Amino acid sequence: MLKKINLKNKIALVTGAGKGLGKACAIALAEAGARVIIISRTQSDLNKVSKIIKKTKGSSRSFVCDVTDVNAFKVILNKIKKLDILVNNAGNNRPEHFTKVKRENMEYLTNLNMKAVFNIAQLCSQKMVKFKNRKKIGGSIIHMSSQLGKVGCEGRNVYNMNKFGVEGLARGMACELAKYNIRVNTVCPTFVETPMVKKFFKNKKFKNKMLKNIPLGRVAKESDVATAVAFLAADTSEMITGTSLVVDGGWTAQ
Amino acid sequence: MGLFLKDIDLKGKTALVTGATKGLGRGTAIAIAQAGGNIIAVGRNQLELNSLEKIIKKLKVKYKSINCDVNDYNKIKRFISNLKSLDILVNNAGTNIPEPFLNVKKSSMETILNVNTKAVFNVAQLCANQIIKLKKKNGSIINISSIFGIVAGQKRTVYSMTKFGVEGLTKGMAIDLAKYNIRVNSVCPNIVLTPRTKKYFADKTYNKYVKENTPLNKVVTVSDVATSVVFLASEASSMITGTSLIIDGGWTAK
Repeated sequence: MLKKINLKNKIALVTGAGKGLGKACAIALAEAGARVIIISRTQSDLNKVSKIIKKTKGSSRSFVCDVTDVNAFKVILNKIKKLDILVNNAGNNRPEHFTKVKRENMEYLTNLNMKAVFNIAQLCSQKMVKFKNRKKIGGSIIHMSSQLGKVGCEGRNVYNMNKFGVEGLARGMACELAKYNIRVNTVCPTFVETPMVKKFFKNKKFKNKMLKNIPLGRVAKESDVATAVAFLAADTSEMITGTSLVVDGGWTAQ
Repeated sequence: MGLFLKDIDLKGKTALVTGATKGLGRGTAIAIAQAGGNIIAVGRNQLELNSLEKIIKKLKVKYKSINCDVNDYNKIKRFISNLKSLDILVNNAGTNIPEPFLNVKKSSMETILNVNTKAVFNVAQLCANQIIKLKKKNGSIINISSIFGIVAGQKRTVYSMTKFGVEGLTKGMAIDLAKYNIRVNSVCPNIVLTPRTKKYFADKTYNKYVKENTPLNKVVTVSDVATSVVFLASEASSMITGTSLIIDGGWTAK
């Protein structure tokens, strides 16, 4: 009756895998038995992640790549025989009040959080559907979204625009890829203890204000999000597609 | 417990499951026991409670049951408020009498509302109070909702009214119970193949309607739902509260 999170014989690709959530997801998927392909812009970060995966008796391959460089990413995909899982994680944020958002920041964030997310998802899907047993073994794509893909927040207008967009993309992809038995979902975390959030939380006033919005009274751990991703990657969720797993301690329930 | 992958484990936890004799409730009770949790089964059929006991005890966990209608407030209250151990509630008992809106009988409407709304509220309140009284460090309540808590369907006006209500209740409870570290979520399955729905699926038109509306083109199984419930019951989802896990093969993504 109870299905377990088991990713043996699966190959998973994780973008933005050098730090934070991507790193946690890559390690969690490896812990669940997947062979993991980790992508980041920084070789030294990849080395550290590979080392941890090796220590936990997992297996990984790493590639340095900026996900906004479609051609470079295509070259990497050509080196991979098979792909079953994508964790479309690479993303960033530059909080600014709407009236003050610099054009270059809006373009940088949108190129990364939307265009690259779309391109990577499309390229990986094309790779996944080519595998002749796909319908039988299934596939899973998880976009790293955010609670800000569900609700607005001050200073987060571009990020809101990007993440609401990712929510739409996930639903559209789910409808189109269902016939290949490829499921597409998002994970929507609240603030997580990552290097990116630690930077924002240096502002204590901001930190306290944000914590007040989380009914459980604490930020999420990287393992909370990585476990949710592993649940969606595995057959534990084989009938879950086109939806979001909200990991927000109750933020969006209010 | 891995580095970033949390175990889905209910060892030492006790879960009360309503409507435990058949279908989703029975499957969920078995899945919880497989994850190591003790079971308190509430149902109206003594023979089925007994046959469930045999299955649960084989899994080497404790089993306790009460033959009780969830509408019988005084009896269920006496039972719950005397429990020595309680961490998890699977608020599952529910019913449906599909009728077109114009022809919904007053008696049908009242039957559905009594079970799906009033009893769901009462059992949730009684269990939450008991979990708090027992001074548990954490708790988890899972309300069994439906895709018809998110969208409408043919001949489902009363059912949708009650399940949309459960979605609201889930969010409200999550906010009020967060300070006790009791998480509250719902699962929203598509139409699951159970003893109750078997008669719907016997109708060819209905069968076609379900499959055509489910992009993954499969029927949700009891195991799919039970696995999600166990995930939400366990500390693997310790930052997930006030949300819904939709298990619908893409039905509501369209």
